[in-house]
Amino acid sequence: MKLDGMAELRTLDFPDALSYYIRPSDFRWLTPRLLVAENDMVEVGTPLFADKQDERVVIVSPVKGCVRQIVRGEKRAIRAIVIESETEAATGRSVDVQMPSNSQEIRTLMLQYGLWPMLLQRPFSVIPNPDSQPKAVFISCFDSAPLAPDYNCLMEGKETFFYKGLEIIRMISGDVPVHLCMRAGADNSLFEQCEDIQLHYFQGPHPAGNVGTQIHYTDPIRKGESIWYIDPQDVAIIGRFFAERMLSFEKMYALTGPVATTTGYFTAICGANLSNLFKQDWGREELRFISGNVLTGEKMVDFPTVRFYDRQVTVIREGGRREWLGWLLPGLKKWSFSHTFLSWLTPNRSYPHNTSLHGGRRAFMMTDVYDKVFPFDILPLPLLKACYIKDIEQMEALGIYEVDDEDFALCEVVCPSKMECQQIVRDALFELYKNV
Amino acid sequence: MRKHNALLDAIDTFLRTPSTVTASGSHIRDCVDMKRIMITVMIALCPALFFGMWNVGYQHFIAIGAPTALWSCFWYGFLKWLPLVVVTYASGLLVEVLFAQWRGHEVAEGFFVTGFLIPMIMPPDVPLWIVAVATAFAVLFGKEVFGGTGFNFLNPALLARAFVFFAYPSVISGDKVWISGADAVTGATPLAMVMNGHPEAMPSTWELFVGTIPGCIGETCKIAILLGAAILLFTQVADWRIMLSVLVGGYATAFLCHVSGLCPVPGYQQLLMGGFLFGAVFMATDPVTAAHTREGKYVFGLLVGILAILIRLLNKGYPEGMMLAILLMNIFAPLIDYCVVQAHIRRREKRLSQPKTAAR
Repeated sequence: MKLDGMAELRTLDFPDALSYYIRPSDFRWLTPRLLVAENDMVEVGTPLFADKQDERVVIVSPVKGCVRQIVRGEKRAIRAIVIESETEAATGRSVDVQMPSNSQEIRTLMLQYGLWPMLLQRPFSVIPNPDSQPKAVFISCFDSAPLAPDYNCLMEGKETFFYKGLEIIRMISGDVPVHLCMRAGADNSLFEQCEDIQLHYFQGPHPAGNVGTQIHYTDPIRKGESIWYIDPQDVAIIGRFFAERMLSFEKMYALTGPVATTTGYFTAICGANLSNLFKQDWGREELRFISGNVLTGEKMVDFPTVRFYDRQVTVIREGGRREWLGWLLPGLKKWSFSHTFLSWLTPNRSYPHNTSLHGGRRAFMMTDVYDKVFPFDILPLPLLKACYIKDIEQMEALGIYEVDDEDFALCEVVCPSKMECQQIVRDALFELYKNV
Repeated sequence: MRKHNALLDAIDTFLRTPSTVTASGSHIRDCVDMKRIMITVMIALCPALFFGMWNVGYQHFIAIGAPTALWSCFWYGFLKWLPLVVVTYASGLLVEVLFAQWRGHEVAEGFFVTGFLIPMIMPPDVPLWIVAVATAFAVLFGKEVFGGTGFNFLNPALLARAFVFFAYPSVISGDKVWISGADAVTGATPLAMVMNGHPEAMPSTWELFVGTIPGCIGETCKIAILLGAAILLFTQVADWRIMLSVLVGGYATAFLCHVSGLCPVPGYQQLLMGGFLFGAVFMATDPVTAAHTREGKYVFGLLVGILAILIRLLNKGYPEGMMLAILLMNIFAPLIDYCVVQAHIRRREKRLSQPKTAAR
């Protein structure tokens, strides 16, 4: 899938944001219990809300400032906590803590300062239980999605923190192997210097960089097992906290997309309002700003900010233009994984992608398209059907614990019946999650 | 909200691509949709159709002893084909639209191909009312009662033909039906002749291949069918696994029957006779009614090929075995898939319970 607008290797100037959005929906299936009220003053690391299922898990404020508003949606669900930052000064806060000596103390500190939610657990992609023990930890050191940022750029200057962070991860996860998964043939020198780590090299197109694919080929998950995974930048944040006692939620993000006039990398604090950044000249077309990549990202509707676990903003054109007899034309300019348009004769050109659905919703019909983009030893169509009817027994037999919705993103892209594959899998996983 | 109107909606999206944009999930989607896939199948059918039209006229003029000019043959065939296709679409789409309106879903494109196929597998002189009834029956009981396109387990076009075959046998079997307007002249499909004990009346391999023989519109010209097969395979609309395994299964059976003396016709000729190739390329590959799993497709195809030849040879009442073989295997396709999925589950369990192998 070829898309213009790869992030250039340059740093974008991002003026300090004045407001920040912290959203419970970034954390899958987390029910928040609010710990602050409007007009409260918060520091970096002040808990904003806790997970109702386990109140030790808290999401903290990434900045010093004042809680300006708590935006609520339907049924008074919290959509976002808006924090207005007071000064342009500090991007972090020095904290005075004793260096912990054992796993339990580290876990407690991470929970207290809001670093624990950086860890995620498969199956389900949820924040792991603070008492749980994984069978392995995975860190994917490259992203294979369209327009994905280069991790060497994201991690620049954070090497020592990353190594320290890995040490911490090894301590809290006990004696389990920690896997670093890298792109074969790329410059991986940053990651290869780590000690006591299992290194894996993957090649091939997306979803080679998805942690789900990497787990599947390295150490597949069986029922009852769990694996932790974490983004390398978050490892560095954890490392910095324990190395320098500095709590900072500053991260590097990439601004990408075929319609962005200036693409590149910028540093921002997690949750920052990016509207300043978006003040480029965008032309007159209707655009869609996406937090994350075009496959799994979320459209920014009311809050121009990047989700907690994303590291990329993608800007693409909105579609919806209607075309006369579009199904009949040769389609030289239409991108398709299938060969039904003549465009497959020119595989290297890039296409003016937009957000059109390009068709109506149908029943599952073409039976081989998913297999071509689904690299797991799992039958995608039978699994999707089992998910669709929420047949838990069949889902488990077919390997639901090994997958996450993002692993079905490509199936969704190529599906001629326009099935919402990711939503189907997510709903099915939720059904399982409730039952576990 | 605007009232759902299946007919207007169908016409609207037929004329212009829909304006819907992605709401959740992937923001960018493949440009392909079912309409595009269906039109690709129809394009692949066109070579066989055009040849078939000409051949209908050609056979007619030969039978009445008139000169066979290219255009007059084609025009004659076209005039035979046109009412058939109009009646098929009218009858089938009526049922489709009514059901779509009733159920509140969009009219699925599946019938475009079905309606295109039905006239190609009917005798040219079949009464139009029979076509209308057969089409309505096939769409209603083959598809809509199970939930519409995508949920059917029988190929609707073949079901229509089977309906005619069993309900009105006189119009579709016998010696004379395959030549249009030629009641007085005896003409029979090669299949019928051989099975009636006249192997000497067998056309040459070349004639079988080019298709200047009596038969229904779509099936006679093997060159045109292979051209269609090439389109389907290049565009990856049809699955090569099914096509290949049907041919392998059919040839192996025909070859064995020939060697064992059961049938005087050599194996390769069996593949060129009747609707075998047409069925292998356009009918057996229907993604909905064939097996859905990759391994299942091989089994499905092999069995279709084997059964088609066996039915042809062993039951002289039904010289055309392809239709029955495909319909029969359509019924067994879910069972094949079930076995494949269960085998997959067992293999997965075994793999997961083994100690971890070396990382890749």
